[in-house]
Amino acid sequence: MAQPGNKMTIRTAGAPGPSKLQRWLDVLAALLSHRYPITLEQLRREVPAYQRTENEATLNRMFERDKDEMRTFGIPIETVQTGDPPESAYQLRAADFYLPFIELAATGGSPRRPTTRRAPFTSLQTLTFAPDELSLVAQAAARVRALGDPLLAADADSALRKLACDQPVDALARDAERDERVVADQSPASRATFALLGQALLARKRVSFTYHAMGTDTMREREAEPYGLVFLGSHWYLAAAERGDELVRNFRLNRMSKVTINHARMRTPDFSVPDDFRLEEHARSRQAWELGDQEVEEILVEVRVPTGAATAAAQLGEPVAGRPDRRRFRVRRADTFARWLLGFAGDLAPVEPPEMVRKYRELARETLRLYEEGA
Amino acid sequence: MTQDAAQQLRRLLQLIPLLADGEAHSLHEVADLTGADAGDVLKDMQSLSMRFGDPGGFVPGLEIYLEATQVSMRTSHFTRPMRLTAPELCALQLGLAMLRREQVPAEQETADSARRRLSAALTKLPADTPPDRVRHVDSGASGDRVQLATLRRGVRDRRKVRLTYRRADAVVSAVRVICPYGLVASRGAWYVVAHCDDRDAIRIFRLDRIEQSELLDTHFEVPASFSLDDVVHDGKVIDAEEPQTLRVRYSPRVARWIAEREHVAVDADGSLTLEHPLADAAWAVRHVLQYGADAEVLEPASTRREIERRLRDIVAS
Repeated sequence: MAQPGNKMTIRTAGAPGPSKLQRWLDVLAALLSHRYPITLEQLRREVPAYQRTENEATLNRMFERDKDEMRTFGIPIETVQTGDPPESAYQLRAADFYLPFIELAATGGSPRRPTTRRAPFTSLQTLTFAPDELSLVAQAAARVRALGDPLLAADADSALRKLACDQPVDALARDAERDERVVADQSPASRATFALLGQALLARKRVSFTYHAMGTDTMREREAEPYGLVFLGSHWYLAAAERGDELVRNFRLNRMSKVTINHARMRTPDFSVPDDFRLEEHARSRQAWELGDQEVEEILVEVRVPTGAATAAAQLGEPVAGRPDRRRFRVRRADTFARWLLGFAGDLAPVEPPEMVRKYRELARETLRLYEEGA
Repeated sequence: MTQDAAQQLRRLLQLIPLLADGEAHSLHEVADLTGADAGDVLKDMQSLSMRFGDPGGFVPGLEIYLEATQVSMRTSHFTRPMRLTAPELCALQLGLAMLRREQVPAEQETADSARRRLSAALTKLPADTPPDRVRHVDSGASGDRVQLATLRRGVRDRRKVRLTYRRADAVVSAVRVICPYGLVASRGAWYVVAHCDDRDAIRIFRLDRIEQSELLDTHFEVPASFSLDDVVHDGKVIDAEEPQTLRVRYSPRVARWIAEREHVAVDADGSLTLEHPLADAAWAVRHVLQYGADAEVLEPASTRREIERRLRDIVAS
């Protein structure tokens, strides 16, 4: 065993002093060593930092802060009333604190290898996963790690490390990363942007940021109420309503800069999300021609040459009864749709309405001129 | 609790079950175990190892012994990890939801039961904890989920798959037997990266052009030298070993989007001239024509001629 090393102290601004972290672990150890609630006075006897605090009011404040912070972190310290006259006592049940045992079911559902238990873990429950379920959990972690949000990746990693105490999910996740890949943004938003937006979303606080609008190539200050973070395709977007506007828009995170959160009255939400807002529905993957608020126009498209590319693209439209070579598309942006069709170089072509046919041909003529002039 | 403190506590509660065996562990090994910086781990250990003014006879819940390059620990309380926190559970559930959307209904029950079991590992939350329904993830990649399920099984079990596949520029489908090495979702499409037995080479098959797939009983080995990184370049999936070059000029109307995607700056006049690896002539025609008159192929001449021919046909139709 290594022996105690030298006593050099490293302190960094903003990091907790050594005594605070020791104090938290001492509090946890004290609570976990009792099967019943203990009072602050009892706790004081087992936590040296509390013993050294002579002033009662200071001790109370210190303990309340420690308790609240640990609860926020996810440690469920319970407060109960005991004795006569009643006084507050505190408890951390082993079954509430420790991860249940994770077992793998053999075919048929029974555990493949029952876990050996000893104190203080005898009261823990067992979660039995089927091999496919555990494999899927590992794939899920691998998938989340690849999305470009460093905080989300850290949470997935942390969860995997916990589960890996009982089962080799970390190795399964490595296999998943080897076999499957989702390509995310090559220049993702910063960790700070993800952290601020995550904080604003949970606290329902307004955010301000500078946004690069690609359509107009301009930078403008925005103030918005964030409703959700959406990863779509390869990019992260903030779904948010600008102040005074009911429309929920998507702001791409790596086009945002100078993100700040409204810190005034942090415990009070700035807004509420409308009851009928559904992030999943809002985030539904749409083609470029489906976006916007223009009237929907029905366009009939014919598959003229059934190449692999044209046949696959035609599947995005709806079938037309009696015409397997035709598909119906519902389009809000006719110009965008005409360009998309032109990309199939005549293998797909619009047949109705006439206005779309004319637009498509005009686009082809205009493009052809580039090649005639440049020849 | 400050974020620093939360991260420090999280690191420690993860490390202790791995290290509290009474043996000495190198600090670098410890850092690797948590994916943390070795300096951060050293600070964590120092903050725990230095105890001053403890009362006589006090035995800390965690005993830690730190040397210059190694550490050992003893504890009876922290040898199991704590339950999953809400952010940890949410991260896994997001991933499960993403996978579930890609599954056929028969497979979705596995994702649902995995979610239920993980929820039982969640720590008890304070009553005022808001639900984290603020994230949604979707690869957005198109393709038939039945074919995807077959190919996933092929990749996982290392079994060959027979495909009916229609190439982008082909009007007739062809049957191929492949060894599926991996799957990649990129820019709205799934791709199967495979060894094609007919061509005896690595080939990439786009999922939405696969008409049928059948899992075969024949197994295969993935070469140790293979990695999906070999075919993913700047977010694009390319299988040509020595692709030609496609040179395109994008007009100022569209150049900034392309520049953003390709991580380059536009030219002084707002336009952008860019070279792409050209592995597939049909792809080049589709790529350029989708921008209409806002993109023009400069090279190769053969692609210019093909685009001109196709446009004349459209105008004449």
